Amino acid sequence: MARTASARTLKQLIAEREGTRGLLIAFEGPDGSGKTTQRKLLKTWLESEGREVVSTRWASSPLVQPLLKVRKKIRTLSTQEYSLLHAVDFRHRIETSILPALWAGKTVLADRYLFTALARDAARGLDLDWLLHAYTPLLWPDLVVYFSMTPEDSQRRIASTRVPHFYEAGQDVTGIDDPLASYGQFIDRVVTEYQNLAVIFKFVTVDSGDAVYRQHTRVRELVESAEKRPWPVYSKDAVEEWLRNPKAPRA
Amino acid sequence: MAPKPQSPARLIALDGSRGTDITKSAERLAAELRERGITCVISRWDASGLFGELAQNDQRGTASARTLSLVYAADLAFRLRWEISAALKDGAVVIAAPYVETAIAFGTSRGLPEQWLRELLRFAPAADVQALACERKLERGWKPRLDRSYPEYCAALLAPSASRRLPKKLRADVIATLRSARGRRVYHLEGKGLAQAVKAVTGNQPASSSPPSSRPRTARK
Repeated sequence: MARTASARTLKQLIAEREGTRGLLIAFEGPDGSGKTTQRKLLKTWLESEGREVVSTRWASSPLVQPLLKVRKKIRTLSTQEYSLLHAVDFRHRIETSILPALWAGKTVLADRYLFTALARDAARGLDLDWLLHAYTPLLWPDLVVYFSMTPEDSQRRIASTRVPHFYEAGQDVTGIDDPLASYGQFIDRVVTEYQNLAVIFKFVTVDSGDAVYRQHTRVRELVESAEKRPWPVYSKDAVEEWLRNPKAPRA
Repeated sequence: MAPKPQSPARLIALDGSRGTDITKSAERLAAELRERGITCVISRWDASGLFGELAQNDQRGTASARTLSLVYAADLAFRLRWEISAALKDGAVVIAAPYVETAIAFGTSRGLPEQWLRELLRFAPAADVQALACERKLERGWKPRLDRSYPEYCAALLAPSASRRLPKKLRADVIATLRSARGRRVYHLEGKGLAQAVKAVTGNQPASSSPPSSRPRTARK
């Protein structure tokens, strides 16, 4: 697409692609809520149905992952830098992996999406308006599945498997030396933020306390009945900006 | 011996379109201030090293103008924490070269909304004095260099591989945007502008080793 493409041409292109574009499904929830397990199960099922599926994980952009990893390890990130680098990661994945796959008609399963950043960074004390602004223009998922869990259960599950990392435990804001104790306090704030976001952004909730196969059955039902959130209404700006970029990969 | 004049702890934002010009202007301004006994610190672009590392991870140049603006914000947050705020706290004058206007001018010239850029960078405190670098070689575009300045870095990363020199027009647009600031006094660091900027920071504090005037006072009637 030429950079000079008129707004009218872009609008028309987006409207035409609406029928064939892929579905964007976001999995959200506290650590230990079983998002990754359910994402993998859904991917296997969708592929068995003959659909092309692309998965994308949080903080996995090849552009940002190496520099984020080093800075997290040496604990030098401030709340703002932490938030902004995740915004860089998210924007880069939107432009180079999520949008190209959707445009080509593939289903995209996002293991954590924008709402993870909103919940975690708001729990760190950043202003929600500024956060939303940093992530603008938004590419709205067609379906957000929220795996609900109490802060206590999340803490218990994490404690049984590993010691949370410095930033995961929120030690940068709680100032508590013990990672598990800090996690307990921090996840309480994160879950509160998630619950607020669930109402505002109309998440579909799945109880992560249910048996894995029950959750999977529920997720399948949700995906089968999911309707697209029309790009021209919800995500016009994000898609148009991507189409205007002459270097954006496209099928 | 006269006591050393106390530094006024001011933040000077110095923006421009070319790294060489920004650096030279910042150094000239810092030298003038130091001559007046003022502790002066220069905070430069990419102090965090983010852009340097990012260029290594992005050999194919996949980052967009918006992505790079977010990286600029992260780098600025780093500079504010480790360099700017720390030096201001110690009573120094800080020359932030560049500050927010360079990122806004470049972003808008690449089609990003000005409001988005201003809101993104709103965590940066307003500068006490705002200045523009003395721009040289105005007739030329940017050379795609990764180590000079934010606009030149972006030029190298965003330019299609076929054209190794971004159009002159883009640099001209950035300069025009920088010069179009309204509502605030902006000092152009060329000619009298440098002296005026120094005066804005120091008041009328004279340079400690200023050269003698051409006609000594004693010669006057």
